[in-house]
Amino acid sequence: MRGTIIWTVFQKEMRDLFRDTKTWVGTFVIPLVIVPFVFFLMGSSYSSLEEEARAHVPLYVTGTSGLVAQLEAIPGVKFEQPADPEQALIGGKLRAIVTIPDGFDERLKAGGTANLRVEYDSSNQKSVYARDVIEEKVAAYSKEIVAKRLRAAGLSEKATQPIHAVYEQVASEDKSSGGMLAGVIPLMLVVSLASGGIAVANDLISGERERGTLESLMSAPIAANQLLTAKLMTVMVMSCMSAAASLVSLTLILRFGPFGGEELGLSALSPATALVLLLSILLQAAFFAGLELMLSTMAKSIKEGQTYMSGVMFLAMVPSYMLMPLHPVDIPEHYYLLPVFSGVSLIKEVFYGMVDPMHALVGLGTSLLYVALVVALSARFFRREGAVVKH
Amino acid sequence: MIEVQQVTKQFGAFTALEDVSFRVEAGEVYGLLGENGAGKTTMMRMMATILRPTAGNIEVAGFSVIKEPNEVRRRIGILFGGDVGLYSRLTARENIAYFGSMYGMGRTAIEHRIKRLSQMLEMDSFLDRRVGPFSRGMKQKVAIARTLVHDPQVILLDEPTTGLDVTAANMFRQMIGTLQAEGKTILFSSHNMGEIDKLCRRIALIHKGRLQYAGTLQKLREQYGMQDLDDLFMTVVEGSGR
Repeated sequence: MRGTIIWTVFQKEMRDLFRDTKTWVGTFVIPLVIVPFVFFLMGSSYSSLEEEARAHVPLYVTGTSGLVAQLEAIPGVKFEQPADPEQALIGGKLRAIVTIPDGFDERLKAGGTANLRVEYDSSNQKSVYARDVIEEKVAAYSKEIVAKRLRAAGLSEKATQPIHAVYEQVASEDKSSGGMLAGVIPLMLVVSLASGGIAVANDLISGERERGTLESLMSAPIAANQLLTAKLMTVMVMSCMSAAASLVSLTLILRFGPFGGEELGLSALSPATALVLLLSILLQAAFFAGLELMLSTMAKSIKEGQTYMSGVMFLAMVPSYMLMPLHPVDIPEHYYLLPVFSGVSLIKEVFYGMVDPMHALVGLGTSLLYVALVVALSARFFRREGAVVKH
Repeated sequence: MIEVQQVTKQFGAFTALEDVSFRVEAGEVYGLLGENGAGKTTMMRMMATILRPTAGNIEVAGFSVIKEPNEVRRRIGILFGGDVGLYSRLTARENIAYFGSMYGMGRTAIEHRIKRLSQMLEMDSFLDRRVGPFSRGMKQKVAIARTLVHDPQVILLDEPTTGLDVTAANMFRQMIGTLQAEGKTILFSSHNMGEIDKLCRRIALIHKGRLQYAGTLQKLREQYGMQDLDDLFMTVVEGSGR
């Protein structure tokens, strides 16, 4: 009977939620369609901007030098003669102004140093691109001059590079790609686990209380704990769905977005690390669900509940941001004892492919304790007299 | 069937009900009369075991709300006043069935009961539609069906006709007659004197948390020598000195 009631309430909650357009939009449409689409748009807009910047590079060049011919040879470069070059640069009609002083080449031939002035607009990406290509050509022209000077002195170019260093990375390719993503994934997972349940938890207790359904329900011969268990399961499912949607969203962004061809690296997970990841996610989901239901029970109204819930986001974001730049070996040991910190640390270890069994044991164990604590507290608040009555 | 024994309810320093006693017999439609804020809803909530008396006890069908709350819950059906308390994204049938399953009813039993209640309350045309866009009257019918789905012995109705139009309120009163004929015990709270006069033979009159009168309407009229219930109510309330 106890299990039947929990299952009936859970089924009803899920049916009710999935008939709500807001749930579909918030849980699936935004992370799976809108976010990747925004990244795709950003990527294509960035590509078209770069293409346009390459195709047409109007420059204003004054002075004479061998460098001028080299600049003119850059694809897309066209020399312009505007009446007011400074205004043309600010207005975006010119990408850069190159001022070559008198006697530029003569000074270089004499073995001296010559000044070159390049003006560009750092707020305009196309102008920044023009600066980059000019810089490349100037560097190449300088290199030619250095080579000539070295030859004249009877030296080879190698004389300027006495040390040839070879840098080799020891991390595997998986680990290396994991390292790049391991900073982002725990943040994204933990924040979506926290945020995915907020609206649902607030609605399931504060909302039901305001609509009067909770009071009617609690006048039936069911235990408060049965109802709370079903609601906890519902919030956990919604949190996990939100996290899964965020992972899929990240995969789509990495594959089709402006970063080009990054992989999430989930294939590198071993059964043991996959288990640690799954347990970490479930325990974090249960912790946030318990906490959110407790706050929803404490709140006198939906609005008050929303205010309390901002604290949950804070609790999720602080550890995630603090741990983002850290390599697993640099994570302080006591972090594995703290709520949320332990989950973020373990997820990070999983994506670095270096899960320490002791860390896993301690982290999962303490997370379980925190889950038990918040669930017990939320049950206590929920059983409090008048908790289901509209204020 | 319902025995209220010297019940007091306090919320911190505020006393919502003080030393209230009355008795509702089996098969009776009993009126609980009082202004808004008199303590009627608090009394109903204690009968439904949502709130706990600070002092005293209430027995419903011989079970104490303090010692045997689950037995009490099994035997009552309560319709709270104000919001009808329905799930707007569920259909009328789903709302009723959900509450039926909370009372441990099987699927077949629920379906039979819904069919019967739907006929009684004339709900067939909207039984499988989501309740969100329903009118207040339609919602109230669904809420009543939800209250009665487990065929309770005792029915607690807290201001059930608030917000209903004349036709719906009349239909509601007819339904109470039907339920009384079935032998149900009904406690009906209202601040509408005319309604109480039509439905109840005996009443309890509460003013600012204190019981002012418990007994038949006829005796109350004889005691004060007045026929009009509104005048009677005002006289009793003014005489209470609170």
